[in-house]
Amino acid sequence: MRFLLLFVLIALSVSSSSASAGFFDQIQNLAKPDSKERKILEGATQVASSSKEIDYQTERNIGESLALEGLQRFGNPVKNEALQKYVNLVGTALAVNSKRATIPYQFAVLDSPVQNAFAVPGGVVFVSRALVSILDDEAELAAVLAHEIGHVSMKHALKSTQRAQLLQGVGTITAASVGGDKGKKFASAIGDMQAVLFDKGLDKEMEFEADLAAMETTYRTGYDPSAMIRVLEKLQKLEASSKDKKGSWFSTHPPLAERIARLQSQLKKYPDYSSLAEVKERFAKQAKVK
Amino acid sequence: MRITRSMVAGLALLLIAATAMAEEKRWVSSEGTTLKAEASATSENVADVLVGAEVTVVESGGRWLKVRTTAGKEGWVYAGRVSETPPASEVAGGDGGIFGDSMKSSQIKTAKADSARSIRGLSPGAAQYAKDRGTPEIYKKSLDVVLSRKVSPNELKAFLKEGKIGEYAQIQGGKK
Repeated sequence: MRFLLLFVLIALSVSSSSASAGFFDQIQNLAKPDSKERKILEGATQVASSSKEIDYQTERNIGESLALEGLQRFGNPVKNEALQKYVNLVGTALAVNSKRATIPYQFAVLDSPVQNAFAVPGGVVFVSRALVSILDDEAELAAVLAHEIGHVSMKHALKSTQRAQLLQGVGTITAASVGGDKGKKFASAIGDMQAVLFDKGLDKEMEFEADLAAMETTYRTGYDPSAMIRVLEKLQKLEASSKDKKGSWFSTHPPLAERIARLQSQLKKYPDYSSLAEVKERFAKQAKVK
Repeated sequence: MRITRSMVAGLALLLIAATAMAEEKRWVSSEGTTLKAEASATSENVADVLVGAEVTVVESGGRWLKVRTTAGKEGWVYAGRVSETPPASEVAGGDGGIFGDSMKSSQIKTAKADSARSIRGLSPGAAQYAKDRGTPEIYKKSLDVVLSRKVSPNELKAFLKEGKIGEYAQIQGGKK
Protein backbone atom coordinates (compact mmCIF):
# COMPACT_ATOMS: atom_id res chain seq x y z
CA MET A 1 0.00 0.00 0.00
CA ARG A 2 2.92 2.19 -0.46
CA PHE A 3 2.05 5.47 -2.01
CA LEU A 4 4.62 5.51 -4.72
CA LEU A 5 7.19 3.10 -3.51
CA LEU A 6 9.56 5.94 -3.92
CA PHE A 7 12.71 4.72 -2.41
CA VAL A 8 15.02 7.49 -3.47
CA LEU A 9 18.43 8.52 -2.29
CA ILE A 10 19.21 6.25 0.65
CA ALA A 11 16.79 3.55 -0.32
CA LEU A 12 18.03 3.56 -3.87
CA SER A 13 21.52 2.71 -2.91
CA VAL A 14 20.91 0.30 -0.10
CA SER A 15 17.67 -1.47 -0.72
CA SER A 16 17.07 -1.87 -4.38
CA SER A 17 16.25 -5.50 -3.66
CA SER A 18 13.25 -4.39 -1.68
CA ALA A 19 11.92 -2.51 -4.61
CA SER A 20 8.91 -3.53 -6.56
CA ALA A 21 10.35 -5.26 -9.56
CA GLY A 22 7.77 -5.80 -12.24
CA PHE A 23 5.12 -4.40 -10.01
CA PHE A 24 3.74 -1.84 -12.34
CA ASP A 25 4.63 -3.15 -15.73
CA GLN A 26 2.92 -5.18 -18.42
CA ILE A 27 -0.52 -3.70 -17.99
CA GLN A 28 -1.29 -4.55 -21.58
CA ASN A 29 -0.91 -8.23 -20.75
CA LEU A 30 -4.04 -8.04 -18.64
CA ALA A 31 -6.04 -8.28 -21.83
CA LYS A 32 -4.49 -11.60 -22.81
CA PRO A 33 -6.51 -14.53 -21.42
CA ASP A 34 -3.51 -16.76 -20.71
CA SER A 35 -1.12 -14.12 -19.45
CA LYS A 36 0.40 -14.31 -16.00
CA GLU A 37 -0.98 -10.86 -15.24
CA ARG A 38 -4.49 -11.91 -16.17
CA LYS A 39 -4.28 -14.96 -13.92
CA ILE A 40 -3.07 -12.84 -11.05
CA LEU A 41 -5.93 -10.45 -11.61
CA GLU A 42 -8.41 -13.31 -11.64
CA GLY A 43 -6.86 -14.66 -8.47
CA ALA A 44 -7.19 -11.24 -6.89
CA THR A 45 -10.82 -11.14 -7.88
CA GLN A 46 -11.44 -14.47 -6.20
CA VAL A 47 -9.72 -13.29 -3.07
CA ALA A 48 -11.72 -10.09 -3.30
CA SER A 49 -14.91 -12.00 -2.74
CA SER A 50 -13.39 -13.86 0.18
CA SER A 51 -12.11 -10.70 1.80
CA LYS A 52 -15.70 -9.67 2.33
CA GLU A 53 -15.92 -12.51 4.81
CA ILE A 54 -13.31 -10.96 7.05
CA ASP A 55 -15.06 -8.94 9.70
CA TYR A 56 -13.89 -5.51 10.73
CA GLN A 57 -12.37 -6.62 14.03
CA THR A 58 -10.19 -9.15 12.22
CA GLU A 59 -9.29 -6.63 9.54
CA ARG A 60 -8.25 -4.26 12.30
CA ASN A 61 -6.17 -6.96 14.03
CA ILE A 62 -4.41 -7.67 10.73
CA GLY A 63 -3.87 -3.97 10.07
CA GLU A 64 -2.44 -3.15 13.47
CA SER A 65 -0.12 -6.16 13.35
CA LEU A 66 1.12 -4.92 9.97
CA ALA A 67 1.45 -1.43 11.43
CA LEU A 68 3.77 -2.80 14.12
CA GLU A 69 5.95 -4.34 11.40
CA GLY A 70 5.83 -1.09 9.42
CA LEU A 71 7.02 0.97 12.37
CA GLN A 72 9.96 -1.33 12.88
CA ARG A 73 10.89 -1.03 9.24
CA PHE A 74 10.35 2.68 8.63
CA GLY A 75 10.76 4.21 12.05
CA ASN A 76 8.63 5.58 14.85
CA PRO A 77 6.31 8.57 14.47
CA VAL A 78 7.86 12.03 14.45
CA LYS A 79 7.73 13.52 17.95
CA ASN A 80 5.70 16.58 17.08
CA GLU A 81 2.18 16.42 18.47
CA ALA A 82 0.98 19.50 16.56
CA LEU A 83 2.08 17.96 13.27
CA GLN A 84 0.48 14.61 14.09
CA LYS A 85 -2.77 16.33 15.05
CA TYR A 86 -2.69 18.39 11.86
CA VAL A 87 -2.23 15.30 9.68
CA ASN A 88 -5.12 13.62 11.51
CA LEU A 89 -7.36 16.63 10.86
CA VAL A 90 -6.57 16.64 7.12
CA GLY A 91 -6.93 12.85 6.96
CA THR A 92 -10.22 12.76 8.84
CA ALA A 93 -11.66 15.54 6.67
CA LEU A 94 -11.01 13.29 3.68
CA ALA A 95 -12.01 10.00 5.32
CA VAL A 96 -15.57 11.14 6.00
CA ASN A 97 -15.94 11.77 2.26
CA SER A 98 -14.20 8.56 1.15
CA LYS A 99 -15.74 5.44 -0.33
CA ARG A 100 -15.60 3.90 3.11
CA ALA A 101 -16.63 6.69 5.43
CA THR A 102 -17.96 4.60 8.28
CA ILE A 103 -14.78 3.23 9.84
CA PRO A 104 -12.32 5.12 12.04
CA TYR A 105 -9.02 6.21 10.48
CA GLN A 106 -5.80 7.31 12.11
CA PHE A 107 -2.83 9.02 10.49
CA ALA A 108 0.81 9.41 11.49
CA VAL A 109 3.99 10.94 10.10
CA LEU A 110 6.91 8.53 10.48
CA ASP A 111 10.45 9.73 11.06
CA SER A 112 11.75 8.17 7.87
CA PRO A 113 14.19 9.61 5.29
CA VAL A 114 12.53 7.62 2.52
CA GLN A 115 9.72 9.16 0.49
CA ASN A 116 6.91 6.76 1.11
CA ALA A 117 3.40 6.32 2.40
CA PHE A 118 1.41 3.22 3.15
CA ALA A 119 -1.83 2.19 4.77
CA VAL A 120 -2.78 -1.00 6.54
CA PRO A 121 -6.16 -2.73 6.50
CA GLY A 122 -8.70 -1.21 8.85
CA GLY A 123 -7.66 2.40 8.44
CA VAL A 124 -4.23 3.30 9.82
CA VAL A 125 -2.30 5.48 7.36
CA PHE A 126 1.39 6.36 7.53
CA VAL A 127 3.32 8.97 5.59
CA SER A 128 7.05 9.55 5.88
CA ARG A 129 8.64 12.81 7.00
CA ALA A 130 10.60 12.80 3.73
CA LEU A 131 7.46 12.67 1.61
CA VAL A 132 5.78 15.46 3.60
CA SER A 133 8.95 17.53 3.13
CA ILE A 134 8.58 17.68 -0.68
CA LEU A 135 4.94 18.85 -0.53
CA ASP A 136 3.95 22.51 -0.90
CA ASP A 137 0.40 22.79 0.34
CA GLU A 138 -2.39 21.07 2.23
CA ALA A 139 -4.09 19.91 -0.97
CA GLU A 140 -0.97 17.91 -1.85
CA LEU A 141 -0.88 16.32 1.60
CA ALA A 142 -4.59 15.60 1.16
CA ALA A 143 -3.88 13.89 -2.17
CA VAL A 144 -1.31 11.57 -0.57
CA LEU A 145 -3.57 10.71 2.37
CA ALA A 146 -6.63 10.26 0.12
CA HIS A 147 -4.64 7.85 -2.08
CA GLU A 148 -3.92 5.74 1.00
CA ILE A 149 -7.52 6.00 2.22
CA GLY A 150 -8.45 4.68 -1.23
CA HIS A 151 -6.35 1.56 -0.65
CA VAL A 152 -8.05 1.00 2.71
CA SER A 153 -11.54 1.59 1.39
CA MET A 154 -11.05 -0.81 -1.50
CA LYS A 155 -9.33 -3.35 0.79
CA HIS A 156 -6.40 -3.65 -1.61
CA ALA A 157 -3.96 -5.25 0.83
CA LEU A 158 -6.45 -7.93 1.79
CA LYS A 159 -7.15 -8.63 -1.86
CA SER A 160 -3.45 -8.86 -2.64
CA THR A 161 -2.68 -12.10 -0.99
CA GLN A 162 -4.08 -15.52 -1.57
CA ARG A 163 -3.29 -16.23 2.05
CA ALA A 164 -6.00 -13.83 3.11
CA GLN A 165 -8.37 -16.29 1.50
CA LEU A 166 -7.46 -18.78 4.19
CA LEU A 167 -9.00 -16.45 6.69
CA GLN A 168 -12.34 -16.98 5.00
CA GLY A 169 -14.69 -18.56 7.46
CA VAL A 170 -12.21 -18.17 10.28
CA GLY A 171 -14.40 -15.49 11.73
CA THR A 172 -13.11 -13.06 14.26
CA ILE A 173 -9.52 -13.58 15.24
CA THR A 174 -9.21 -12.48 18.80
CA ALA A 175 -6.39 -12.44 21.29
CA ALA A 176 -7.56 -15.80 22.57
CA SER A 177 -7.30 -17.45 19.16
CA VAL A 178 -4.10 -15.88 17.85
CA GLY A 179 -2.04 -18.54 19.55
CA GLY A 180 -3.88 -21.51 18.01
CA ASP A 181 -4.46 -22.83 14.52
CA LYS A 182 -6.23 -19.65 13.52
CA GLY A 183 -3.19 -17.83 14.80
CA LYS A 184 -0.89 -19.67 12.39
CA LYS A 185 -3.09 -18.67 9.48
CA PHE A 186 -3.14 -15.16 10.86
CA ALA A 187 0.65 -14.97 11.11
CA SER A 188 1.01 -16.37 7.56
CA ALA A 189 -1.38 -13.79 6.21
CA ILE A 190 0.52 -11.02 7.99
CA GLY A 191 3.77 -12.31 6.49
CA ASP A 192 2.33 -12.30 2.99
CA MET A 193 0.80 -8.87 3.29
CA GLN A 194 4.01 -7.49 4.73
CA ALA A 195 5.83 -8.67 1.61
CA VAL A 196 3.23 -7.03 -0.60
CA LEU A 197 3.11 -3.75 1.29
CA PHE A 198 6.79 -3.26 2.02
CA ASP A 199 8.65 -5.21 -0.69
CA LYS A 200 6.72 -6.25 -3.78
CA GLY A 201 4.17 -3.47 -3.82
CA LEU A 202 0.52 -3.56 -4.72
CA ASP A 203 -0.88 -4.39 -8.11
CA LYS A 204 -0.51 -1.65 -10.69
CA GLU A 205 -4.24 -1.38 -11.28
CA MET A 206 -4.77 -0.92 -7.55
CA GLU A 207 -2.43 2.08 -7.65
CA PHE A 208 -4.43 3.58 -10.51
CA GLU A 209 -7.64 2.95 -8.61
CA ALA A 210 -6.24 4.66 -5.54
CA ASP A 211 -5.07 7.63 -7.65
CA LEU A 212 -8.55 8.12 -9.06
CA ALA A 213 -10.14 7.65 -5.65
CA ALA A 214 -7.75 10.27 -4.26
CA MET A 215 -8.84 12.77 -6.86
CA GLU A 216 -12.52 12.11 -6.18
CA THR A 217 -12.14 12.27 -2.39
CA THR A 218 -10.07 15.45 -2.39
CA TYR A 219 -12.57 17.06 -4.77
CA ARG A 220 -15.57 16.06 -2.69
CA THR A 221 -13.86 17.41 0.42
CA GLY A 222 -13.11 20.71 -1.27
CA TYR A 223 -9.38 20.43 -2.05
CA ASP A 224 -8.00 21.05 -5.51
CA PRO A 225 -7.96 17.54 -7.07
CA SER A 226 -5.10 18.43 -9.42
CA ALA A 227 -2.82 18.31 -6.35
CA MET A 228 -2.51 14.55 -6.94
CA ILE A 229 -0.92 15.29 -10.31
CA ARG A 230 1.43 17.88 -8.77
CA VAL A 231 2.65 15.33 -6.23
CA LEU A 232 3.37 12.75 -8.93
CA GLU A 233 5.18 15.40 -10.97
CA LYS A 234 7.39 16.21 -7.97
CA LEU A 235 8.26 12.55 -7.68
CA GLN A 236 8.94 12.43 -11.40
CA LYS A 237 11.48 15.25 -10.99
CA LEU A 238 13.15 13.38 -8.17
CA GLU A 239 13.26 10.33 -10.35
CA ALA A 240 14.83 12.29 -13.20
CA SER A 241 17.51 13.78 -10.97
CA SER A 242 18.45 10.45 -9.50
CA LYS A 243 21.86 9.44 -10.79
CA ASP A 244 21.96 5.78 -9.93
CA LYS A 245 19.28 4.29 -12.10
CA LYS A 246 20.84 1.04 -13.19
CA GLY A 247 19.51 -1.80 -11.08
CA SER A 248 17.78 0.70 -8.90
CA TRP A 249 14.21 0.93 -7.96
CA PHE A 250 13.61 3.47 -10.71
CA SER A 251 14.48 1.00 -13.42
CA THR A 252 11.50 -1.10 -12.41
CA HIS A 253 9.43 1.79 -11.26
CA PRO A 254 5.73 2.11 -11.90
CA PRO A 255 5.45 4.52 -14.78
CA LEU A 256 4.70 7.88 -13.23
CA ALA A 257 4.06 9.31 -16.69
CA GLU A 258 1.23 6.86 -17.23
CA ARG A 259 -0.31 7.65 -13.86
CA ILE A 260 -0.06 11.38 -14.53
CA ALA A 261 -1.61 10.96 -17.98
CA ARG A 262 -4.54 9.00 -16.57
CA LEU A 263 -5.10 11.62 -13.88
CA GLN A 264 -4.94 14.47 -16.36
CA SER A 265 -7.64 12.76 -18.36
CA GLN A 266 -9.68 12.29 -15.18
CA LEU A 267 -9.26 15.96 -14.27
CA LYS A 268 -11.73 16.85 -17.04
CA LYS A 269 -14.39 15.49 -14.72
CA TYR A 270 -13.72 18.44 -12.40
CA PRO A 271 -13.91 21.57 -14.57
CA ASP A 272 -13.94 23.87 -11.53
CA TYR A 273 -10.87 22.26 -9.93
CA SER A 274 -8.71 25.35 -9.97
CA SER A 275 -11.16 27.21 -7.73
CA LEU A 276 -10.80 24.68 -4.93
CA ALA A 277 -8.67 24.99 -1.80
CA GLU A 278 -4.88 24.55 -1.71
CA VAL A 279 -4.26 26.02 1.76
CA LYS A 280 -0.58 26.92 1.45
CA GLU A 281 -0.12 29.07 4.54
CA ARG A 282 -1.50 26.68 7.12
CA PHE A 283 0.49 23.83 5.59
CA ALA A 284 3.71 25.88 5.72
CA LYS A 285 3.06 26.64 9.38
CA GLN A 286 2.01 23.16 10.48
CA ALA A 287 4.09 20.80 8.38
CA LYS A 288 7.60 21.91 9.27
CA VAL A 289 9.60 18.79 8.61
CA LYS A 290 12.21 20.09 6.20
CA MET B 1 -60.54 10.77 -33.34
CA ARG B 2 -62.34 10.32 -30.07
CA ILE B 3 -60.46 10.89 -26.92
CA THR B 4 -61.15 7.96 -24.69
CA ARG B 5 -60.74 7.72 -20.94
CA SER B 6 -57.96 5.23 -21.35
CA MET B 7 -56.05 7.65 -23.57
CA VAL B 8 -56.34 10.37 -20.94
CA ALA B 9 -55.21 7.97 -18.24
CA GLY B 10 -52.30 6.87 -20.39
CA LEU B 11 -51.23 10.44 -21.00
CA ALA B 12 -51.43 11.20 -17.28
CA LEU B 13 -49.24 8.19 -16.50
CA LEU B 14 -46.70 9.33 -19.07
CA LEU B 15 -46.60 12.80 -17.53
CA ILE B 16 -46.11 11.37 -14.06
CA ALA B 17 -43.31 9.13 -15.32
CA ALA B 18 -41.62 12.05 -17.09
CA THR B 19 -41.77 14.16 -13.92
CA ALA B 20 -40.27 11.36 -11.85
CA MET B 21 -37.45 10.91 -14.36
CA ALA B 22 -36.69 14.62 -14.29
CA GLU B 23 -36.09 14.50 -10.56
CA GLU B 24 -32.48 13.64 -9.89
CA LYS B 25 -31.68 11.19 -7.15
CA ARG B 26 -28.60 11.46 -4.97
CA TRP B 27 -27.31 9.43 -2.05
CA VAL B 28 -25.72 10.82 1.10
CA SER B 29 -22.12 9.60 1.04
CA SER B 30 -20.36 11.52 3.80
CA GLU B 31 -20.40 11.00 7.52
CA GLY B 32 -21.84 13.86 9.56
CA THR B 33 -24.01 15.36 6.80
CA THR B 34 -26.59 17.98 7.78
CA LEU B 35 -29.22 19.66 5.63
CA LYS B 36 -29.08 23.44 5.95
CA ALA B 37 -31.81 26.07 5.68
CA GLU B 38 -29.73 27.99 3.13
CA ALA B 39 -26.81 27.22 0.84
CA SER B 40 -24.28 28.03 3.53
CA ALA B 41 -22.46 25.93 6.13
CA THR B 42 -23.22 28.51 8.78
CA SER B 43 -26.98 28.58 8.20
CA GLU B 44 -29.48 26.81 10.43
CA ASN B 45 -29.59 23.01 10.58
CA VAL B 46 -32.72 21.43 9.11
CA ALA B 47 -31.99 17.73 9.59
CA ASP B 48 -29.13 15.26 10.01
CA VAL B 49 -28.98 12.72 7.20
CA LEU B 50 -27.23 9.37 7.33
CA VAL B 51 -24.79 7.81 4.91
CA GLY B 52 -26.77 5.82 2.33
CA ALA B 53 -29.95 7.92 2.62
CA GLU B 54 -31.64 8.69 -0.71
CA VAL B 55 -32.52 12.30 -1.48
CA THR B 56 -34.11 14.04 -4.45
CA VAL B 57 -32.58 17.19 -5.93
CA VAL B 58 -35.13 19.98 -6.14
CA GLU B 59 -32.82 22.90 -6.88
CA SER B 60 -29.18 23.43 -7.73
CA GLY B 61 -27.00 26.39 -6.86
CA GLY B 62 -23.31 26.07 -7.60
CA ARG B 63 -21.71 23.61 -5.21
CA TRP B 64 -24.88 23.40 -3.14
CA LEU B 65 -27.98 21.35 -3.84
CA LYS B 66 -31.44 21.75 -2.38
CA VAL B 67 -32.68 18.25 -1.68
CA ARG B 68 -35.74 16.50 -0.29
CA THR B 69 -35.43 13.45 1.94
CA THR B 70 -37.75 10.46 1.68
CA ALA B 71 -39.38 11.80 4.86
CA GLY B 72 -40.22 14.98 2.96
CA LYS B 73 -37.72 17.33 4.64
CA GLU B 74 -36.05 19.86 2.37
CA GLY B 75 -32.75 21.57 2.84
CA TRP B 76 -29.43 22.50 1.23
CA VAL B 77 -26.47 20.18 1.19
CA TYR B 78 -22.90 20.69 -0.03
CA ALA B 79 -22.63 18.76 -3.31
CA GLY B 80 -19.48 16.91 -2.16
CA ARG B 81 -21.50 15.17 0.53
CA VAL B 82 -23.77 13.32 -1.88
CA SER B 83 -23.06 11.06 -4.84
CA GLU B 84 -24.87 9.91 -7.95
CA THR B 85 -24.72 6.28 -6.93
CA PRO B 86 -25.45 4.70 -3.55
CA PRO B 87 -22.33 4.19 -1.39
CA ALA B 88 -21.18 0.60 -1.10
CA SER B 89 -22.60 -1.04 1.98
CA GLU B 90 -20.10 -1.94 4.64
CA VAL B 91 -20.39 -5.69 4.37
CA ALA B 92 -17.60 -6.44 6.78
CA GLY B 93 -18.84 -4.01 9.38
CA GLY B 94 -17.21 -0.98 10.81
CA ASP B 95 -17.42 0.81 14.07
CA GLY B 96 -18.53 4.14 12.78
CA GLY B 97 -16.21 6.98 11.95
CA ILE B 98 -15.90 10.10 14.05
CA PHE B 99 -19.65 10.57 13.81
CA GLY B 100 -20.16 7.06 15.19
CA ASP B 101 -23.34 7.92 17.06
CA SER B 102 -25.03 9.16 13.93
CA MET B 103 -24.63 5.71 12.44
CA LYS B 104 -26.80 4.03 15.01
CA SER B 105 -29.89 3.94 12.86
CA SER B 106 -28.10 3.91 9.55
CA GLN B 107 -29.17 1.34 7.03
CA ILE B 108 -25.57 0.28 6.55
CA LYS B 109 -24.79 -0.18 10.20
CA THR B 110 -23.97 -3.73 11.19
CA ALA B 111 -24.42 -5.59 14.40
CA LYS B 112 -20.65 -5.50 14.87
CA ALA B 113 -20.59 -1.77 15.24
CA ASP B 114 -21.04 -1.34 18.94
CA SER B 115 -18.53 -3.94 20.00
CA ALA B 116 -15.95 -2.71 17.52
CA ARG B 117 -16.38 0.90 18.53
CA SER B 118 -14.47 0.14 21.68
CA ILE B 119 -11.30 -0.21 19.58
CA ARG B 120 -9.07 2.58 20.71
CA GLY B 121 -5.47 1.84 21.34
CA LEU B 122 -3.86 -1.42 20.26
CA SER B 123 -6.49 -4.11 19.54
CA PRO B 124 -6.27 -7.38 21.51
CA GLY B 125 -5.36 -9.44 18.43
CA ALA B 126 -2.49 -7.15 17.51
CA ALA B 127 -1.31 -7.05 21.13
CA GLN B 128 -1.17 -10.85 21.13
CA TYR B 129 0.64 -10.82 17.77
CA ALA B 130 3.20 -8.41 19.23
CA LYS B 131 3.68 -10.67 22.23
CA ASP B 132 4.15 -13.77 20.05
CA ARG B 133 6.61 -11.97 17.77
CA GLY B 134 8.49 -10.30 20.59
CA THR B 135 7.84 -6.84 19.14
CA PRO B 136 9.88 -4.29 21.10
CA GLU B 137 7.81 -2.34 23.62
CA ILE B 138 8.66 1.01 22.04
CA TYR B 139 6.79 0.17 18.83
CA LYS B 140 3.74 -1.08 20.73
CA LYS B 141 3.67 2.16 22.70
CA SER B 142 4.12 4.24 19.54
CA LEU B 143 1.23 2.52 17.80
CA ASP B 144 -0.91 2.84 20.88
CA VAL B 145 -0.41 6.62 20.78
CA VAL B 146 -1.19 6.72 17.03
CA LEU B 147 -4.41 4.76 17.56
CA SER B 148 -5.57 6.83 20.48
CA ARG B 149 -5.57 10.14 18.59
CA LYS B 150 -9.09 11.32 17.90
CA VAL B 151 -10.62 14.15 15.92
CA SER B 152 -13.99 15.32 17.18
CA PRO B 153 -16.74 16.52 14.80
CA ASN B 154 -16.38 20.04 16.23
CA GLU B 155 -12.61 20.06 15.75
CA LEU B 156 -13.13 18.97 12.16
CA LYS B 157 -15.69 21.70 11.46
CA ALA B 158 -13.40 24.36 12.95
CA PHE B 159 -10.49 23.05 10.87
CA LEU B 160 -12.45 23.16 7.60
CA LYS B 161 -13.80 26.60 8.44
CA GLU B 162 -10.34 27.98 9.21
CA GLY B 163 -8.99 26.61 5.93
CA LYS B 164 -12.09 27.77 3.97
CA ILE B 165 -12.48 24.26 2.62
CA GLY B 166 -15.50 22.64 0.95
CA GLU B 167 -18.75 23.96 2.33
CA TYR B 168 -16.80 26.69 4.15
CA ALA B 169 -15.20 27.99 0.95
CA GLN B 170 -16.15 31.54 0.11
CA ILE B 171 -16.69 31.12 -3.56
CA GLN B 172 -18.06 33.99 -5.59
CA GLY B 173 -18.85 33.28 -9.21
CA GLY B 174 -16.72 30.18 -9.21
CA LYS B 175 -13.57 32.01 -8.15
CA LYS B 176 -11.54 31.50 -5.03
